[in-house]
Amino acid sequence: MNRKLVSAVLGAAMASTVLAGCGSTASAPAAQTEETAAEEETAAGEETADTAEAGAESAAGKVYYLNFKPEADEHWQSLAAAYTEETGVPVTVVTAASGEYETTLQSEIAKSDAPTLFQVNGPVGLANWKDYCYDLTGSDIVGNLTSDAYALKNDEGAIAGVAYVIESYGIITNKALLEKAGYSVDDIQSFDDLKKVADDIQARADELGVKGAFASTGMDASSDWRFKTHLANLPIYYEYQEDGIDRADAIKGSYLDNYKNVFDLYITDSTCDPAELSAKTADDARNEFLNGEAVFYQNGSWEYGSLSDKYSDDELAMIPIYFGVNDAKEGLCTGTENYWCVNAEAAPEDIQATLDFMNWCVSSETGTKVMAEDMGFTIPFTTAQESPNVFVKQDAEMTAAGKTPVSWNFTTMPSENWKNGVGSALTAYAAGTGDWEAVKAAFVDGWASEYAMMQ
Amino acid sequence: MEKAIRRYWPVFVLPTLAAFIIGFLWPFLWGIYLSFCQFQTVNKVKPVGFSNYMKVFADPTFVHAFWFTALFTVASTLIINLAAFGVALLLTRKIKGTNLFRTVFFMPNLIGGIVLGYIWQSLLNGLLSKWGWPLLALSEKEGFWGLIILMAWQQIGYMMIIYIAGLQNVSPELIEAAQIDGATAAQTLVRIKVPMVMPSITICSFLTLTNSFKLFDQNLSLTNGEPAKNTQMLAMNIYDTFYSRSGPQWKGIGQAKAVIFFLVVVVISLIQLRFTKSREVQA
Amino acid sequence: MMAAANDSMSPNSRAQALAKRKERTNNVITGILSVVLVLWIYPVFMIIANSLKIESAISTDRIFRLPLGEDFAGLANYVYGVTKMDFLSAFWYSLFITVTSVALILLCCSMCAWYISRSGNALGRIMYLLCVFSMVVPFQMVMFTLAKTADTLKLNTPYNICIVYLGFGAGLAVFMFTGFMKSMPVEIEEAAMIDGCSPLQIFFRVVMPITKPTTISTAILETMWVWNDYLLPTLVLDIKKYRTIPMDIQYFRGSYGSVQMGPMMACIVITIVPVILLYLFAQKYIIEGVVAGAVKG
Repeated sequence: MNRKLVSAVLGAAMASTVLAGCGSTASAPAAQTEETAAEEETAAGEETADTAEAGAESAAGKVYYLNFKPEADEHWQSLAAAYTEETGVPVTVVTAASGEYETTLQSEIAKSDAPTLFQVNGPVGLANWKDYCYDLTGSDIVGNLTSDAYALKNDEGAIAGVAYVIESYGIITNKALLEKAGYSVDDIQSFDDLKKVADDIQARADELGVKGAFASTGMDASSDWRFKTHLANLPIYYEYQEDGIDRADAIKGSYLDNYKNVFDLYITDSTCDPAELSAKTADDARNEFLNGEAVFYQNGSWEYGSLSDKYSDDELAMIPIYFGVNDAKEGLCTGTENYWCVNAEAAPEDIQATLDFMNWCVSSETGTKVMAEDMGFTIPFTTAQESPNVFVKQDAEMTAAGKTPVSWNFTTMPSENWKNGVGSALTAYAAGTGDWEAVKAAFVDGWASEYAMMQ
Repeated sequence: MEKAIRRYWPVFVLPTLAAFIIGFLWPFLWGIYLSFCQFQTVNKVKPVGFSNYMKVFADPTFVHAFWFTALFTVASTLIINLAAFGVALLLTRKIKGTNLFRTVFFMPNLIGGIVLGYIWQSLLNGLLSKWGWPLLALSEKEGFWGLIILMAWQQIGYMMIIYIAGLQNVSPELIEAAQIDGATAAQTLVRIKVPMVMPSITICSFLTLTNSFKLFDQNLSLTNGEPAKNTQMLAMNIYDTFYSRSGPQWKGIGQAKAVIFFLVVVVISLIQLRFTKSREVQA
Repeated sequence: MMAAANDSMSPNSRAQALAKRKERTNNVITGILSVVLVLWIYPVFMIIANSLKIESAISTDRIFRLPLGEDFAGLANYVYGVTKMDFLSAFWYSLFITVTSVALILLCCSMCAWYISRSGNALGRIMYLLCVFSMVVPFQMVMFTLAKTADTLKLNTPYNICIVYLGFGAGLAVFMFTGFMKSMPVEIEEAAMIDGCSPLQIFFRVVMPITKPTTISTAILETMWVWNDYLLPTLVLDIKKYRTIPMDIQYFRGSYGSVQMGPMMACIVITIVPVILLYLFAQKYIIEGVVAGAVKG
């Protein structure tokens, strides 16, 4: 044999070993994929519905729900698992971190395996996502709604989203501590009452064994939505009421002084120095309330789950955020910013699976029970079970007593960007590094410029 | 031999080339195209000409981020290199514990940007609240210096290592000769050491320059742009436009910002290359 | 001052005085650097201390306190962080991604670099130019389109994301390998070829061993990049199933509607301690690698 042939053979042999080497590195991970996927399924049971199953069930469709409510994550995971067990349809629930929903949705919707079920916060959110909303007209879930008002319609009149939870927020009060200070919930009927009581508690904080009247007004991203969004609803609500409108491209800020008064009260009669608020988190405020270090805590009915472990129903009350405008008639802020939308770009079988899942959640025994009891939701469907949530009950009582619930108008806020602008200005104002004029500018001018940019 | 190797190109080049096309070339070209379009996902792309670019320059946050980044880059490059060079000088004096110092000063490099940011956020906020100053999220100035401190902590050790290597290459005879000639310590430093380690200086300044200019992770975790996007650097401003703003118009604007960002980086690199080349000719 | 006194001294005692002075200065320097050293270590120490404290003791005003008395939480944060956030799987994914990506980059890029430096044809030159060019391009330029491309090709699991890393990280590695290989003498390789070796044999038997120093430098730089990378895996990986360490730590903020500082600190400690230990053992290689890498780059 000549030398050339030998080297050619050797070369080929070498090449094949190298290629085989490449082949094995490429195939080994592939094999491992399945292995670990299987492992994961057993190891992380709460992660639910894995794609291992998705392969077998793909003809029947699958559900991928991008959940907005971090506090309900655990319950959604178990509800999804229950559904998969019952029907065999894989349901994946991913919860976006607080303040990261829009970011997560933006990056997930671009993927081939995009969420089939997501949510928008109302008309403004819908405007951004209208191309992706499947028309729900005539679907079972829409038929189950208690009122047509809970269906979110787009400009063409098609139903693009359905509200799946109605919530209330106000000032959560520790009744026992309030009584210890010599007051009862009935003593607080207006902003002036609230201020008087809070100032008094603050002055006698040491004697009462509390750190402050209000739990910290945390401006960390996990908590600042309570003020830049929820509290900011009130000036918008009263302005809309006055003008008889329900949406505006420009806002005047007629009630911003009241907004300032309430915010001032929160940060003055507080458990902590206003300069520290920017680093205070949602946990901090909740823990202060749970530890009995604060009497008042602005938050909503969704907090019931974490508070009811410590307090009995008799110890908790939710009072309206008296705004000094029409205190006698003002009720809790009740509404929704949670509209379910089905991704119109998903595969038809996935859309069907998603519609089935949604309807199951709000109509089946298991689904309604988890939503009412574990998540503490009031859902606007005829099939709903009564929620044991004491705040929800108080809302109903107040409405029955002739108070008018404050509607949720923050769904008309122009963008997340606007909220962040207001939040930053509020934080700076609280710490003394900025003034109230900056808050006003972020509120009024920011509103106009954000709406202008949407055009 | 060349011929034999060329025949083997599918083995030697193809894997890298294929991955390179997937991981860089195609996304890059596609990105340039998309900067002239309006899109939310790639299924609905509408060409809009130069309008994205017009909107970029009308966006005050981008302009602010640009100057913030430029200022930050200059300040951090100067501070890090001066400090690293100084420490390197001290550590080449054969003092006790040189190895320990070198080991510890280099250590922060191994910690990732996100983690670094959270470590320093806790530490700096603790200090600020102790002194009764506004916290990091409240002041642009503090955010700026916080980022500088963080970067200095992370990068001084790395640059120091490179400077030490450079200084060790300076021949001891040369320095001794200078000392015999009566040169003071300052003169030896300026006349002999600095020119001899010029290549290290070029490398280090280039590294700090690009690291600072493209900074993202540390920015995200330390200040997250607070207060009110005032401490957003360019990379983060682009990310923010891309993923935090909803509405069909923003992605195109974000992509246009990215193209501009890329062009600026290219210009900086070209200047750097020029500078390095001219130095090499002199030396 | 000393100079005036020196006149009257013998050369011998003058040298002694100089040495003494030098020693004194050096002691002062050691003292100053020791203080800096403590400052340098303190942030890490602080994180470890806080990871042992209860949640409410990690607030801004109590961050400097030691984990003593009622603040002490034992290992509760570690247990919570590891179990609840599924931190171990994040650790595993990070490790797996880093090892596979770096191995793939080293193998493919060194082969590609050898081709570039020895073939002398247009393909090699174009490849080299493209790689140098890619080093300049910031990630933000390609983040959206890269995420989409990887998604379409299903390169979104920890098991094959290394291909994306190979693509985006090829520039630096190819650049470093080519720089070294161009300076290598061709004669040995030519001799091997005359002896009947194929290019593959030459590469693995002759070239690979010689490039070991560059391989180590490149490995260190690429490892530091991939292990700590946040944005690329965040955008590319299938977040329904996989999170790497940096993603997990970022997720501590705001997930479940809260910021869990304690578990976050614990997970930071779990993340950095192995890296620091590894560094202490392999210090010599890492520092030499960095120097070599910098001089080449």
